[in-house]
Amino acid sequence: MKVEHLKHLYWRAGFGVTPSILEHYKNATKSQVVSDLFKASETTEPLKIDLSEFKGFKTLSFKENPKLIKELAQKSRKRLMDFNIAWVNRLNTSDAVLRERMTLFWANHFVCGEKNVVYAQQYNNMLREYALGNFRDFVKAMSKEAAMIKYLNLRQNVKAQPNENFARELMELFTLGPGHYTENDIKESARAFTGYFNMLDGTFRLRRFQHDYGQKTFMGRTGNFNGDDIIDIILENRQCAKFICEKVYRYFVNEIIDKNRVESMVEVFFEDYDISRLMQYVFTQDWFYDNDNIGNKIKSPIDYLVGLSRTVPFILKNEKAVIKLQKLLGQTLLDPPNVAGWKGHKAWIDANTIMVRLKLPSVLLNGGMIALDDEKDEMRRQFFKRNKSKLPIKTLANWDKFQNEYKKISIEDLDSVLINGQLNKGTLTYLKSLYKDSKQKYCIQLMSLPEYQMC
Amino acid sequence: MERRDFLRNSALASSLFFVPNFVRAFEDFEAKSIGYKRLVIIQLTGGNDGLNTIIPYNNDLYYNARPTLGIKNDVIKLNDELALHPSLKPLQHLYDSGELSIINNVGYPNPVRSHFRSMDIWQSGSSSDEYLQSGWLGRFLDKHGKHPYNAIELDETLSLALKGETFNGIATNDYRTLYKTARDPYFQNVLNHYNDQHLSEHNLGYLYKNMIDAKSSANYIYETTKVKLSQEDYPQNKFGKQLKSTAQFINSGLDTKVFYNALDGFDTHANQQNTQKRLLSIYAEALFSFVKDLKRNGTFEDTLILTFSEFGRRVKQNAANGTDHGSANNVFVVGKNLKTAGVYNQLSSLSDLDDNGDLKFTVDFRQVYATILENWLGTSTKGIISVPQRKLKFI
Repeated sequence: MKVEHLKHLYWRAGFGVTPSILEHYKNATKSQVVSDLFKASETTEPLKIDLSEFKGFKTLSFKENPKLIKELAQKSRKRLMDFNIAWVNRLNTSDAVLRERMTLFWANHFVCGEKNVVYAQQYNNMLREYALGNFRDFVKAMSKEAAMIKYLNLRQNVKAQPNENFARELMELFTLGPGHYTENDIKESARAFTGYFNMLDGTFRLRRFQHDYGQKTFMGRTGNFNGDDIIDIILENRQCAKFICEKVYRYFVNEIIDKNRVESMVEVFFEDYDISRLMQYVFTQDWFYDNDNIGNKIKSPIDYLVGLSRTVPFILKNEKAVIKLQKLLGQTLLDPPNVAGWKGHKAWIDANTIMVRLKLPSVLLNGGMIALDDEKDEMRRQFFKRNKSKLPIKTLANWDKFQNEYKKISIEDLDSVLINGQLNKGTLTYLKSLYKDSKQKYCIQLMSLPEYQMC
Repeated sequence: MERRDFLRNSALASSLFFVPNFVRAFEDFEAKSIGYKRLVIIQLTGGNDGLNTIIPYNNDLYYNARPTLGIKNDVIKLNDELALHPSLKPLQHLYDSGELSIINNVGYPNPVRSHFRSMDIWQSGSSSDEYLQSGWLGRFLDKHGKHPYNAIELDETLSLALKGETFNGIATNDYRTLYKTARDPYFQNVLNHYNDQHLSEHNLGYLYKNMIDAKSSANYIYETTKVKLSQEDYPQNKFGKQLKSTAQFINSGLDTKVFYNALDGFDTHANQQNTQKRLLSIYAEALFSFVKDLKRNGTFEDTLILTFSEFGRRVKQNAANGTDHGSANNVFVVGKNLKTAGVYNQLSSLSDLDDNGDLKFTVDFRQVYATILENWLGTSTKGIISVPQRKLKFI
């Protein structure tokens, strides 16, 4: 496979490429590489941190000791940060890149914000488990997750007084998209999800006395539907497959929809809602590797951070700083802005975030310094050295790992690995004028460009 | 022109320091077609329950629909029908001095009850079946803005409202950091070499454009803002800080027409009382300090403050001591010389609700926008509001 194509595939299906991957697959075919990607993600390794301090409580213990709830909530907030850190570490180091990429994609589809770390972890692992599985099972499992039951008020959805929040978002955001259902469909389907509840430990339970077993008329059909029936009826509508394929296309291929290509994806997906088959199809199509699709996507903050770390691994002296970084860049994992998730694409970038992105590589990896190759560089180096303690984030960068990995890449070729798509002509001229005497220096210079934001 | 010459020849040239604000504002007005009047938006995100904000305290239908949520005690009566939520005590003063106008039942035909869609409708100024990719203030600034700092959002990210077809406002919750970052000489070198005529036509061009905008705006905001002007005590929370920064910018005479602030958390499906009580008091206390700050610096007269939420909530409370998504809602306008202060119009009937059990709208939110655009910002609504709107009489 061509270098450009390998980079493209690895950036979209994973989190970037290394010289060893490029070397390993230089004579391989597309289908070999794609099949290896899937193989590496075949099994699911749940992401778990130690949450034993939350075990063994009964509802009664809260009634007896109301303070306990507050205490646990506080502990939970702390552990949630730990879980965020663990997730970023997983993204930085996992070999199951496709599964992790898909998990991230679905986390911004079945969006859920949850402060209870036990439920948040369980939800996150549900996403990971179904990320490459069957979409039908996925939606049903999602609807029964403690975190979702809480987030979209299913707990308050009872026979006597249905709460429409979940039913509405299920159709608007998770399956069909706006305009493909009526207000009445929402009212009727809300009834089918009445009584959804979870036990303290996060397991699902249907409260039978709160569930409405009566007849519902939904999308022109009448019956004693329960929640799963409603999901089955929704999935019978081809629009559901189309809605998901459009989202996949915008995320993995190009933000501008190509109707014919999406239609060909729907053909595949609507057959059995198998997510793996759909993704395999996308990654093996010639159009996936069209020049128009290469290097035209703006990295999400997480893509950006994980990509950095996979090129030059770094340790944050205060590991919680990784949450601050996500906030600055505009995407904090486990804390979506709302149930529609992050808009992505150009919405990642405004005058503020672009400056953070341009400056961050030098701050994280090089003490704040971007070399200029002029007579003042030495003065600058001294300045940044003196002011090291003032940097907002303290790190240890592992440049040895980088030097070793990039041993066979010449300094002039560094941009062909680190940059996706075309460099602006003027910028290219400037880069050529730079006196390249150190890979580390040039790497920072490249990472401090607008071009580095693309994948 | 004569006046301008007069000013230039008098005290102004020698000691800008002592020139009163209104004179400086006048100078701005002469120099720029856009005018010196400023608009501050406060968005209550999540769908604030308007009925428990402006309370129909003499209406049995209200209390019947809300057996546990209806507010009886400590309401602040405005007239024989309506009262303020107890948390809005700080606004009473504004109301009494004719600096607050409450417009009831603001909405739009065929209301959408999804947060995101309804928020997009409000921010873009579209009809409910129309999908616009730009915001109403963004389109205003397409015509009248030159620099991103002409519209500032006090947040980390920029809302649709401030995104035009070609214009983008700037979002920043810390302008000092933005300034320091933008100063790196490497970035200047890159920009000196950059060449492309088609800045915003593709994603990479969009990145470069934002880089250029960031650099110039960061310089401008940093160099123009005078920190010491704001000495008012603001509540110690994110929203208080936002309004404090807004006041600093306004009092420093930044050439910014629109400031955008938001307070989130109003989606009260369950246990509404405490949440709304807390949020409304954050809102009212910060707003009170803000107005006081502007008054002290003589900039209140040129500032109009609009508060809205993407929708109101259902009249009938739900089983979880909360309320579900509704439609029409009240809007607050705060300013010095309001034409109609106080309660602008009557609350819609609580016995004549729509099919969902929500209040019927009587004022289109685009009427409010049109009034602000024409009577306050001094521009025509052409190209900004697509459907012609009858203007209101609050300014």
